[in-house]
Amino acid sequence: MSRTLIDFVNISKSFHNNLVLDELNLSVKENEFLTLLGPSGCGKTTTLRILGGFETPDSGQVIFDGVDITNLPPNKRNLNTVFQKYALFTHMTIAENIAFGLKIKKKSKAYIDDKIKYALKLVNLDGFENRQVDSLSGGQQQRIAIARAIVNEPKVLLLDEPLGALDLKLRQDMAYELIRLKNELGITFIYVTHDQEEALTMSDTIVVMNQGYIQQMGSPEDIYNEPENAFVADFIGESNILPAIMLEDKLVEILGARFACVDVGFGKNQPVDVVIRPEDIELVKPDKGIINGRVTHLIFKGVHYEMEVMANGFEWLVHSTSMFPVGTEVGLWVDPFNIQIMNKPESEDEEAVGVNE
Amino acid sequence: MNKKYNRFLSGPYVVWSTAFILIPLAMILYYGLTNEDGAFTLKNLALMGSAENLKALGLALLLSFISTVICLLLAYPLAMILAESSMSQSSFIVVIFILPMWMNFLLRTLAWQTLLEKNGVINSILGMLHLPALQIINTPYAIILGMVYNFLPFMVLPIYNALVKIDKDIINAGRDLGANGFQVFWKVMFPLSLPGVISGITMVFVPALTTFVISDLLGGSKILLIGNVIEQKFKQGSNWNAGSGLSLVLMVFILLSMAVMNKYDKDGEGGMF
Amino acid sequence: MKNAARKLYLTLIIIFLYAPIVTLVVLSFNSSKTRAKWGGFTLKWYSSLFSDTAIMNALYTTLTIALLSAFIATLVGTTASVAMHSMQAKYRNYLMTVTNIPMLNADIVTGISLMLLFIACRVTLGYSTILLAHITFNIPYVILSVMPKLKQTNKHTYEAALDLGASPIYAFFKVVFPDILPGVLSGFLMAFTMSLDDFIITHFTKGPSVDTLPTKIYSEVRKGIRPEMYALSTLLFLTVLILMILINSSPKNEEKPSRKSQMTSLVLRRVVPITLVILITGGGIFYGSKNKMRSEEQVIVYNWGEYIDPDVITMFEEETGISVIYEEFETNEIMYPKIKSGAIAYDVVCPSDYMIERMVREDLLAEINWDNVPNIKNIDPTYMDQSKSFDPDNAYSVPYCFGTVGILYNKTMVDEPIDSWNVLWDPKYTDNILMQDSVRDAFAVALKRKGYSLNSTDVNELEEATADLIEQKPLVQAYVIDQVRDKMIGNEAAIGVIYSGEAIYTQWENENLEYVIPKEGSNVWIDSWVIPKNAQNKENGEKFINFLCRPDIALMNFEYITYSTPNKEARALIEDEELRNSTIAFPTADMLKDCETFRFLGNDADAFYNELWNKVKAH
Repeated sequence: MSRTLIDFVNISKSFHNNLVLDELNLSVKENEFLTLLGPSGCGKTTTLRILGGFETPDSGQVIFDGVDITNLPPNKRNLNTVFQKYALFTHMTIAENIAFGLKIKKKSKAYIDDKIKYALKLVNLDGFENRQVDSLSGGQQQRIAIARAIVNEPKVLLLDEPLGALDLKLRQDMAYELIRLKNELGITFIYVTHDQEEALTMSDTIVVMNQGYIQQMGSPEDIYNEPENAFVADFIGESNILPAIMLEDKLVEILGARFACVDVGFGKNQPVDVVIRPEDIELVKPDKGIINGRVTHLIFKGVHYEMEVMANGFEWLVHSTSMFPVGTEVGLWVDPFNIQIMNKPESEDEEAVGVNE
Repeated sequence: MNKKYNRFLSGPYVVWSTAFILIPLAMILYYGLTNEDGAFTLKNLALMGSAENLKALGLALLLSFISTVICLLLAYPLAMILAESSMSQSSFIVVIFILPMWMNFLLRTLAWQTLLEKNGVINSILGMLHLPALQIINTPYAIILGMVYNFLPFMVLPIYNALVKIDKDIINAGRDLGANGFQVFWKVMFPLSLPGVISGITMVFVPALTTFVISDLLGGSKILLIGNVIEQKFKQGSNWNAGSGLSLVLMVFILLSMAVMNKYDKDGEGGMF
Repeated sequence: MKNAARKLYLTLIIIFLYAPIVTLVVLSFNSSKTRAKWGGFTLKWYSSLFSDTAIMNALYTTLTIALLSAFIATLVGTTASVAMHSMQAKYRNYLMTVTNIPMLNADIVTGISLMLLFIACRVTLGYSTILLAHITFNIPYVILSVMPKLKQTNKHTYEAALDLGASPIYAFFKVVFPDILPGVLSGFLMAFTMSLDDFIITHFTKGPSVDTLPTKIYSEVRKGIRPEMYALSTLLFLTVLILMILINSSPKNEEKPSRKSQMTSLVLRRVVPITLVILITGGGIFYGSKNKMRSEEQVIVYNWGEYIDPDVITMFEEETGISVIYEEFETNEIMYPKIKSGAIAYDVVCPSDYMIERMVREDLLAEINWDNVPNIKNIDPTYMDQSKSFDPDNAYSVPYCFGTVGILYNKTMVDEPIDSWNVLWDPKYTDNILMQDSVRDAFAVALKRKGYSLNSTDVNELEEATADLIEQKPLVQAYVIDQVRDKMIGNEAAIGVIYSGEAIYTQWENENLEYVIPKEGSNVWIDSWVIPKNAQNKENGEKFINFLCRPDIALMNFEYITYSTPNKEARALIEDEELRNSTIAFPTADMLKDCETFRFLGNDADAFYNELWNKVKAH
């Protein structure tokens, strides 16, 4: 997990005067499972397609293994893509689909047959060689698309929302399957999705993108626990995002109440945004917490109860294993470590996403 | 949708097609298998075996085959260009291919005479440029030109429709898996557009095989195609039995084309539209 | 680079597609009547177009048939598609196969099979039979364009509509129909276009008095296309072009078009085209229907194409109050089965000599009541005598036109005196010879050259003639019927076999042309008016014939069609002395001494001739 394999250097791309990527810089390490996460139109798919060779950036370079591949056609790149809607060749059998790339490379028949067997076993579809594409379910087609890509032994596998078309249970199964595959193959996966849960489950590194910019890059834990701005916080998981004022180091005023926190260096009386995850709020007896409120909604979610608590004019989202019926007066308490302070967005672009979405 | 309604809905067409497609066909069958006195005979079918008619059939098969191949070679790149151009533009271009049909077919073919004649427009232009004259009028080449001209739109439209339906990512997948431009075309794009190609081939080959107007007007009536033979049987000879018999034999080729088309185009994907 | 190559390719293809169309547009401004010669710019064809009732009637018929057939076909086809969409695959495949038949069958077979059906069912051929035929071949186009759209629709939306309380019909029109509408529209457009362009099927299923533009053009191919047709085609084409441009012009790169530009585009793309269509079809229909007002008294005339001055018909209608239903044929052989089958009760027909003989023999003709045709006295007795070869008692026919078959040659391209058929076998003129493309005419040339009768049924003589014709074939530039005229005028060939009537016209257009009746003798033919036995208005027919025998009328026709008139009083009225004494138009008895008239040789001999001719053509 050390060597840098891919470098995007100052990549910009626009379609019809619509800027999709703006001076993007991104490094991908060898054997990394990297996920590009963001809402539709954020530029994540374009980034992937530039790497795959299906789009040429307006400016900037793509460095692959030390070589500039910006203008290299897709068939000359040592990486393969699993497409959003699988893009299987419907006029070929499964075996022919998988053999496609190998035949182009003029591999021997025995080698190809071996590879087909191996790949089908890898994706748990042994014996499907002579089936037709349209006789397969969506999940099976997805596995074939993966098999077709990996038999070419690419250094990098690009996956463009590969689970998007599958149902929930299948999606979860496939997610584990992908992790297993990645570990067995020992290659780099670059994965594009808009589903934060998928991203958190599978990735080594998550790159959160919005409006052509990288918002934050880091391990799933970093991204979840320490979102750098309101967009990331809102996009990853549920959270309470509130405007606040950093009174001084380690003290923040939220909705008129003072909360202790651990952040320093914001200056005095500085407007900021704070994020508090719903599971980080503890409900205690009235006056035992920092502010008081009253429970207004209650839903049982299986693992925990989800409650909304009205306090200081804000509906706080709270997850708790103990149940407080609607109407109960409660106190809210937050551990200083669990209060995440973020700068107000600087650019209009970031703001445009809207904290209150 | 509701089955009960459907049986009712298909009624008019079933009646119509029986009355105006199947029964008339049966009458051709009857005429083709009887002589002038109404007695059963295979003589009319056997007429196709005569040296002249076989030659006319062979020539018709050859010329329509060549025309179909030329149409395909011209139409495929054209359809590709159209399929890649942006939507609003391409619908306009498609219209451009239907538009010539609004000038009468006979007039258009006659106009080719004016263009191709020894002292025609093209040769006048070539003469001004001091280029050798083009002498194809009244030869099989002129007939091929006429066929290609008249039937090209029937090749372009189905191929175009098949191509626009191909997901761009399928092409990308081919590139991604290492195929170069030509390999992607030959191994992915072409096989996927095959329904359109097949229906295009049928739409060109069959009318070219049966035409008599084009060979008359551009071939100087020197070149006898099977369509001309049948036309003569009906019109000059007033021999409906012989004409029907030959039509029946010709229909074998048409049925063959249909069988091929149905095999490759099960879902009617290669439509004209 | 790649883009430039694409643009170039597109341009070349478009030039290829539109070159003939540009040619036709240019021809519509050509003041010369023949397409072989540019006579200067004119707009006269455009003005004469609108006063030509025959063309306007044809336009009216074409438009109404196209609209009605496309509409009905769309209705039946769409309904059928919806039904087939949810049918069991087995039945659907069966129906689709049936649907494919008219699309893939040769037009001529479809046309003839329908005609056989109509005749067998004793349906009078006419407007309605054309309509039925057009609907039949239009339905497949609709089905093939609606079916794919139906396949793309989501059937759950239909179920959702039912679930929300819609009735099946309401659900169909509110939910399914909008989805398949583009397919329905393109099917309608395709059907309309196909109907507009069809002539083979129409030709076999049409009756008297009805002509569509294509059948009108088809019958004119024989005598050369009238320039008004070019003008009309140009107008039609330009209209459609403008419509298409309007419909397809969309504001570019405007994501949110302003309200104003939305309004403009609505007006441009919807309102204007629809108004235009309504105006044109409405105008065409109004114009045509004006001409459709007919009196009860009528006469149904079946004549060769371009074989009468249209003014003559108008004059007849005005003078007698009898309305004329006029239909044209291209050859005797096309005319014959229509009379024989009795599908249409014609009142007056104008066949040639040998065909009259056949019709008399087969008892298809009625004797003429000469009391009703007093003008018969104007016909030169010479021709009444000549008619006896096919109408021995002068009981059935009134000579209308006559002429010879001879050689037309271009003095600048031929430097020897020409007086024999042998010149047609001279290798010097390879690729410069135009032969007649009809069995009897071609064999007449070969037989006469060898001194045989052109009515020969002697197998050896005919085999010899066949061999000669095959020997001649490499020298022949083209076998044509009436295009000899245009081609000779345009200096396309040095020598051509032609009818004398055409020769006069060609000389007017190209002074280098000369006509000769070869010394071995030739064919002298007579086209005469006859009345079929099943005529419904025999007396009106006789009035019509009598009218045509009037000297002033015969003169009008002679000047219009340039074929020789047997009417001696009319000949005396010709002002141009040169023409009146032209030996081309009125050959002397001496010139005709070795000439013969075609006889009907019987079905077996006819078949034999055809078989031999087939051999020549296929060689």
